[in-house]
Amino acid sequence: MIATGILQIILYFVLLIGLAVPMGRYLAGVYEGKIAFLAPVERGILRLCFVDPDQEQHWTVYALACLVFNLVGIFALYALMRFQADLPFNPAGQTAVAPDLAFNTAVSFATNTNWQNYGGESTMSTLTQMLGMTVHNFTSAATGMAVLVALIRGFTRRQVRTLGNFYVDALRSILYVLLPMAVVMALFLVWQGVPQNLGDYTEATTLEGAKQLIAQGPVASQVAIKHLGTNGGGFFNANSAHPFENPTALTNLAQMVGQVLISAAFVFAFGRMVGDPRQGRALVIAMSVMLTVGIGVCYWAESQGNPALNGAGIDMVTSVTNSGGNMEGKEVRFGIANSALFAATTTGTSNGAVNAMHDSFTPIGGMVPLVNIMLGEVVFGGVGVGLHGMIIFVIVTVFIAGLMVGRTPEYLGKKMEAREVKFAVLCILIFPLSILGLGGAAMVLPAGLAGMSAAGPHGLTEVLYAYTSATGNNGSAFAGLSGNTPWYNSSLAVAMLIGRYLVIVPTLAIAGSLAAKKIVPPSAGTFPTYGSLFIILLIAVIVVIGGLTFFPVLALGPIVEHLMLAAGTLF
Amino acid sequence: MSIHRPNAINLFEGGILKSAIADSFKKLDPRDLVRNPVMFTTAVVALLSTILFARDVAFGGQFVKVVGQIAAWLWFTVLFANFAEAVAEGRGKAQADSLRKTKTETQAKKVASADSKTWTTVAAANLRAGDLVVCEVGDVIPGDGDVMAGIATVDESAITGESAPVIRESGGDRSAVTGGTRVVSDRIVVRITANPGESFLDRMIALVEGAKRQKTPNEIALTILLVGLTLVFLIVVATLPAFASYSGTVVPMVFLIALLVTLIPTTIGGLLSAIGIAGMDRLVRFNVIAKSGRSVEAAGDIDVLLLDKTGTITLGARQAAEFLPIAQVGERDLAEAAFLSSLSDDTPEGKSIVTLARSRFGFKDPVSASAMSFIPFSAHTRMSGVDMNGTEIRKGASDAILNYVADKSGRTPGGQPKDRSHWSNGWPRRAARPCWWRVTARRWEWSTSRTSSSRGSANVSPRCARWASAR
Repeated sequence: MIATGILQIILYFVLLIGLAVPMGRYLAGVYEGKIAFLAPVERGILRLCFVDPDQEQHWTVYALACLVFNLVGIFALYALMRFQADLPFNPAGQTAVAPDLAFNTAVSFATNTNWQNYGGESTMSTLTQMLGMTVHNFTSAATGMAVLVALIRGFTRRQVRTLGNFYVDALRSILYVLLPMAVVMALFLVWQGVPQNLGDYTEATTLEGAKQLIAQGPVASQVAIKHLGTNGGGFFNANSAHPFENPTALTNLAQMVGQVLISAAFVFAFGRMVGDPRQGRALVIAMSVMLTVGIGVCYWAESQGNPALNGAGIDMVTSVTNSGGNMEGKEVRFGIANSALFAATTTGTSNGAVNAMHDSFTPIGGMVPLVNIMLGEVVFGGVGVGLHGMIIFVIVTVFIAGLMVGRTPEYLGKKMEAREVKFAVLCILIFPLSILGLGGAAMVLPAGLAGMSAAGPHGLTEVLYAYTSATGNNGSAFAGLSGNTPWYNSSLAVAMLIGRYLVIVPTLAIAGSLAAKKIVPPSAGTFPTYGSLFIILLIAVIVVIGGLTFFPVLALGPIVEHLMLAAGTLF
Repeated sequence: MSIHRPNAINLFEGGILKSAIADSFKKLDPRDLVRNPVMFTTAVVALLSTILFARDVAFGGQFVKVVGQIAAWLWFTVLFANFAEAVAEGRGKAQADSLRKTKTETQAKKVASADSKTWTTVAAANLRAGDLVVCEVGDVIPGDGDVMAGIATVDESAITGESAPVIRESGGDRSAVTGGTRVVSDRIVVRITANPGESFLDRMIALVEGAKRQKTPNEIALTILLVGLTLVFLIVVATLPAFASYSGTVVPMVFLIALLVTLIPTTIGGLLSAIGIAGMDRLVRFNVIAKSGRSVEAAGDIDVLLLDKTGTITLGARQAAEFLPIAQVGERDLAEAAFLSSLSDDTPEGKSIVTLARSRFGFKDPVSASAMSFIPFSAHTRMSGVDMNGTEIRKGASDAILNYVADKSGRTPGGQPKDRSHWSNGWPRRAARPCWWRVTARRWEWSTSRTSSSRGSANVSPRCARWASAR
């Protein structure tokens, strides 16, 4: 760990929070309807879709609208991939995508996971990238944002049966937030050298005299939303490690800030919308603490390097000419600090873009992204879904705290009763069920075992990471796993569906139940949910639930690998 | 009123412990256990490990001692949870017993029939439904029942909050009397309708004993959380062999069992019901009867307490505060008539009129008491008064006086104010029982004694009056 590395991380935090605060104010304005400069466009689009913006929806209708919207998206994307060979804008002449891969990819992009069992430049036509991937990057992000807004309304409304209109919320998310920001970011990326064209792939002759096909296309537009919408599905197979996707230190910084910005801003917006900015601030602090610990551990572990190489007498000390530490799988342009920061932020949020290969991290360094996802991606989290995951943990926390003082627990004036706890527990239950259930199946089925590239605990971590990433809708991978097989394509798609919709529906149920409740004014006996005691309790609940659930299996994966690595065994 | 504080029950009293140990085995009944899912899981797992132990002992196993130990610990966990619950319940029972001791030892005058003149004294607790008791002035009615014979004014302020004594007579809808209320005048015969054990106090005792304990809303929510966590850890443990088999390890069943039990929230699950019972038990020590765990929880949520005048804080003793003469009657004349006619009225109201007249005008007891014939207040006549030298003075309920006068003279008294508004602006219509005075046999005068302060609050105890005026 070096001073410039730590300094860059601090700079990143300052930039992030500095932008998130005004952005949060803007988001609150948008969803409260106070900012409406695009109202004519909005109304026009809604009229075109036969949506009455004043028609408020009950939570069940809201959930149904959300599910139908996503289902249609999945079918459309699937069809697009299957027929891409016969459609225009196919400069590289890509053939139809195989059914299982197309299914996996369609689900993956609709659920904001963007798990890629394919190489973008070698599988997808330009049209598919633009019309399929990029569009879904917008709609899946907007879905998450709409669900969160509905949940926030659950807290702000009193004795009402409706939560708003899904189509209006999703449209506003795109029109006012995602689209303008993506345009700005895409232009910035183009300026920094990211390609944006519809041209053919360039054929080049290398110094060795070999022929090389250099892929290109509408990269900047897809990369911009890939980060802003915490999607993470890159244009190229190498994702943000590819020089065309992430050419400079500035683009790297912009992408890292971009993938957390909207999520962080939402937490501030949450505080504003519920009328008490302290509530948002407390959650930001809790998330920042957890993110800082993650970055710290990852950065430290990667800086230590590989003990086997240390033992071989190789110079691993960081100096002007030597980046030091574990550089396997990392871009020399970014170095260890930025790779660790990228890894922690991409998994803390549900982004899943990578600028270094997590598979090549040291066992402990690689465990950080894994644990980040296992804890529910609540360290800012995906746009929308991150904060709503956090609120689920908050419900459990205030419930436990409430029982300690002998009062019916309440959060923001809403009483937490059996119904809320039931749905919150359901959300928490989904994670181990999908990760450990499907992961466990992969560990015993021949089809599952066949995909591993590494033996021993590292192979176990690869599989575990795949299911964790899919369930958490992250999309980053321990890339060693060969995922493009019928088993992995279908089982990972199932994990993604479970992790997305079996969390969204209970969350909306909670929102509906909360909206119908009265708001109890705070009194002397109310447990304050903005103090340090609450923050500590919240972090403890997240860590204890996540820790107890996944520690046994982590012990068989990264932890035992770390111990064996120290003893000199490599995988 | 004095506060009866039941003696604290020692937690480790021998009797409680002994029955608790027996109960902790009785509670192993699956039907009881299933009410607490976490403990049920633990018990199932304990049974499983016992079977494993038996198998290992029979066929020889690698971890016989470990399996035996784990089985023993698991059974101990389940038994201890049952034990804690049993101790809490036992404490509640002991508390209820002490509550029974503090139950008012009312003596009842039991009679064979309604017109029987002699009675036997029995404890109120021994009365059965159908028993007849006689209640005279000053007696506490020993139990809920119906008036069979007689008419009486009964002070029900402790229950209803109404300070004015009410009339209870046989027949009609005014025949029901409640145990614990007091007869203010006359004599009634009451047929008891409630068996011992069905009274209000008995129901409270039953609740303390935990016989009707229901799960509270928070407890239900907590149980959901605990069940959820138990399921999570069940998944963790169930999938572990899959991951372990890949790593080339076979995890013995018994270790998985041990892991499951360490992970699931057994402690809180096991003590949950004990906590609830202990909470109610604790309230009893402060003389608060919690009718259910639900109410204990609701009490925890109370932020503001609004109190209205209720029966429990009302003394059924209306006090005269002022003489309000009307028409051509002087205040002193009115006071004198009121004084004389109230001398034979032993109700709190009558006494207070005497006291007020004495303090305002310094009346002395009449010297020529022998020449006077006092007519005591009774619920039949709803009047009291005095006859002297051909002058009748009566005081009582307005309609009673009117009827009396009409009977005597054959005409309704004149001069009755049609418009009552000039009596007093602050006339407390609800609470006041106007008292009418007949001064002489010839002249009919209407006057009244105001039995209430201007705020209508004199019918509550002084403390309540202060609250009322502070409202």
